[in-house]
Amino acid sequence: MSVFGTPPISQRYLDTAKPAPVQLLLHRRGLAKLLLLAVAAAVIVPLLQAKYGAAWPSSLTVDVSGPLGRTSDWIIDNRDSHPLFVYFLGHLSNAVVISVRGVYLLLLALGWTGVTAGVTLIAWRVAGVRIAATALISFVVSGLLGMWVPTMQTLALMVVAVAASVLVGALLGLAAGLSDRLFRLLRPVLDTMQVLPAFAYLLPVVLVFGIGVPAALLATVIYAAPPMARLTALGLRGADPGVLEAVASLGATGRQRLLTARLPLARKELLLGVNQTIMMALSMVVIASMIGAAGLGDRVYQALASVDVGAALAAAVPIVLLAIVMDRTTAAAGERLGADTPATGPKWQRGWPVWAGVAAVTAVLALVGRLSGSLVWPGAWSLDIARPVNDFKEWMVDHLYSGVPVVGGTADWAAHFTDWVLNPLRDGLTALPWYGTLLIVAALAWLIGTWRTALTAVLAMAAIGVLGVWKPSMNTLSQVLAALAVTLVIGFGVGILAAGSKRFEAILRPVLDVMQTMPQFVYLIPVVALFAVGRAPAAAAAVVYALPAVIRITTQGLRQVEPAAVESARSLGATRWQILRQVQLPLARPALLLAVNQGVVLVLAVVIIGGLVGGGALGYDVVTGLATGDLALGLVAGVAIVCLGLMLDRVTQPTERRTTGKGA
Amino acid sequence: MATTAAGASEIPNARKAVDTAEDSREVVFSVRHLWKVFGPKADKIPDDSSVTELSAQELREQTGCTAAVRDVSFDVHKGEVFVVMGLSGSGKSTLVRCLTRLIEPTSGDLEMDGEDVRAMDRGALRDLRRRRAAMVFQHFGLLPHRTVVDNVAYGLEIQGVGKSERREKATEMVDKVGLAGLEKRRPGQLSGGQQQRVGLARALAVDPEVLLFDEPFSALDPLIRRDMQEEVVRLHREEGRTMVFITHDLAEALRVGDRIALMRDGQIVQLGTPEEIVGSPADDYVRDFVRDVPREQVLTVRRAMRPAEDGEAEQGPALGPDTLISDAIEAVARSGGAARVVDDGRCLGIVDHACLLKVVARIDQPQHGEVAA
Repeated sequence: MSVFGTPPISQRYLDTAKPAPVQLLLHRRGLAKLLLLAVAAAVIVPLLQAKYGAAWPSSLTVDVSGPLGRTSDWIIDNRDSHPLFVYFLGHLSNAVVISVRGVYLLLLALGWTGVTAGVTLIAWRVAGVRIAATALISFVVSGLLGMWVPTMQTLALMVVAVAASVLVGALLGLAAGLSDRLFRLLRPVLDTMQVLPAFAYLLPVVLVFGIGVPAALLATVIYAAPPMARLTALGLRGADPGVLEAVASLGATGRQRLLTARLPLARKELLLGVNQTIMMALSMVVIASMIGAAGLGDRVYQALASVDVGAALAAAVPIVLLAIVMDRTTAAAGERLGADTPATGPKWQRGWPVWAGVAAVTAVLALVGRLSGSLVWPGAWSLDIARPVNDFKEWMVDHLYSGVPVVGGTADWAAHFTDWVLNPLRDGLTALPWYGTLLIVAALAWLIGTWRTALTAVLAMAAIGVLGVWKPSMNTLSQVLAALAVTLVIGFGVGILAAGSKRFEAILRPVLDVMQTMPQFVYLIPVVALFAVGRAPAAAAAVVYALPAVIRITTQGLRQVEPAAVESARSLGATRWQILRQVQLPLARPALLLAVNQGVVLVLAVVIIGGLVGGGALGYDVVTGLATGDLALGLVAGVAIVCLGLMLDRVTQPTERRTTGKGA
Repeated sequence: MATTAAGASEIPNARKAVDTAEDSREVVFSVRHLWKVFGPKADKIPDDSSVTELSAQELREQTGCTAAVRDVSFDVHKGEVFVVMGLSGSGKSTLVRCLTRLIEPTSGDLEMDGEDVRAMDRGALRDLRRRRAAMVFQHFGLLPHRTVVDNVAYGLEIQGVGKSERREKATEMVDKVGLAGLEKRRPGQLSGGQQQRVGLARALAVDPEVLLFDEPFSALDPLIRRDMQEEVVRLHREEGRTMVFITHDLAEALRVGDRIALMRDGQIVQLGTPEEIVGSPADDYVRDFVRDVPREQVLTVRRAMRPAEDGEAEQGPALGPDTLISDAIEAVARSGGAARVVDDGRCLGIVDHACLLKVVARIDQPQHGEVAA
């Protein structure tokens, strides 16, 4: 590549000090790569233009709806007769139904007294008094909001889904942790699965199982098991080699080594895996209401369909509370078990007697509830928030949507964002010749990553064209890019502020904690309340969903900049702005790139879900496909989503693989 | 050079008079022409005479291989402390791991108590590691989730010893290394020195025939390191257990070692008693290495004495031939005249101010090649 020459970095260039990523993009190898691409483009583009024209050529499109429709029909016809279904998938589906039903009945049998007491006591034992109080309040609030039964339905699904995900994930992770070959094979698959939007998983399971609890549960397991598998494998592999050598030197067998050293040493990662799996499972169980999961998600889904913000909120509050309780409890359990210091506290608080006590108290309270004849939350103790919330929303519609002096109104903002940002961007992307898009994708991916990531990105993009969904994909892409730009501007800004001020970060932290815990679905409700439906609210929800991660990563990246470098800059008399621009941002480049990557992945996930609130494009195709039973339409859109996700991830993927998980 | 005046002042006084009896003693480890080569086609290197003579760098350039251990041969005798010393990258840590095949040797012969270690199957090898050779590691290698006593009992647990029995034994070992009262702590709650005591107790708990130390005290503070070295010397005095001790610290090697093998680039450049290493360096590398050692605290009067002249054999204080120069200086200074070196009532020679000063001033370099085995 040296044939292209390497112009020295000019002093002028250094002085202009562009933001870090751009600065480093343009260093010498980047320039060589760009030149190479430009040469290739100069040769290929005229040929392509002459042969195919600017729009995606129909001769390069494969119509898959026919075969997909036939496959779908075949499955529907044979679901009751083909041995594959009768002897394998049928049993699987029955097992799912029976276990979910069993857990649900158990929860109902315990009654609201038993469940509330049990959950509170478990949270107390595992995570302490504060989280126990949170748990108690959460369940009481669910009851008060009239959401007891849907909460129990969601809880039942969660119990089964998490158990299955943890089991499957741990087994896969164990295998990948012990076998190098399997690890090399599984790792890219798991990494990729973690960047795909939840919506992409819905259609394939519906194709096989039809709409219903089995499909919902399996989609959840497929979505939630990867973090467990990934963290188990990484934990087993990350064990201190010194300890493993010491264990080997004492003559331990492979089994002894696994049971007494490798697994215990990985316990922190295992518990983090359980935590992430729970959060992802909750997120998916809620979304899976679209394919037959009953419970809180279904209530939100129904309410959103009729733009009933009040009802949606009443169902969303228990979801958020459930998420917080589950996250904090498992996180605290992880910290406690992961600590290298023994548990403290009086002896009676440790070991099986406590757990027996927990069980006993739960049983007694369940019995009390049963004897007093109130198994389900008593209807008299309920609080109807739907109406006041809807009234408030009406008030907002009347007073805030438009015509507010000076600032305009929320609906005006949304309209402006649509007219001035989303529409031009969409039209521009659609008008851009397809080979131009591919070239841009290739250039970006290659500059930031390697030729491998560039190739994957280009192939994924081309696949979208081949599937014949180029236009809706460009529409989705425009929403992603617009939302990403807003996310990055706000996220980097807030991140820099938080890195600069300890106090600001302290205020921000609990907010981010809660935001990162909430399932994607929930974010749609406030934006619908504020901006009605359309593409702008979908983008807004995406921004809000992706912000916490971007802020976090930015702050951490800036904080972790070598203090000696900052100190030496300060000793040379640099101003705060100079330090930020010339030392901190360039040194935090990997973190900033990671923030972009995570931001893209998270934004895409919610932009797709935005199909439910008028986001249109690919997400809407999935929703329509599910709603009308046109599985071919939905499946093609699903594949396009996967391709778009792959492309966006690879384009923004720094050469080094990210190490943090995606979170909830 | 790591040796300082303060560090060397503690070199034990009792320099063992074992050199002469050496060959008659039982051999625990017998190592012959041992090689460990890392890299592509590593197993071809030791037999390929065209490359075995190359320097480490040439070897890497020509074959892409790194020879961590090159044609090393030595015996470890029962009851001795055998020190392998060298700078980092000299192959000493690889060598000690080869002894129990934690790292598989590339070629050569390796025997323990006359048994061919390289020919052992997995079961036999496991048995060797469980009962016959226990190792203490630089970074301790403790299990962070277990208490001190459970860490110490770990080796016994691996062997399948019952819970109460191993607890009892482990508690005894914890006491022995001076950690009584800390049984219920976790390694994370202990200082580095205490953690290494746990590592030592864990190795002792299985009552091994040989203790292997891989730079056990390198990660510790200097003062703690001294304590631990004394602990090892004390344990050795009490139990007489065979020890193979790896270190990069010359003062440590001189303090604990009966014999020292000095390694460089995977080869042993000199093997001998501390006195031989310091008094008769085999080459410039070794000489450079031992230059800062306070010689009067390592060398004995045997090396300083001159033949007795008329009448001298009858007068002056009598010193044993293994007396350190530093002690002889004191004796000579007190008496004001020359001292006799006496062994079994026979006068071997005379030390006076001049010969003692020559040793301290390093102008006694022996011209004869009195280099070790």
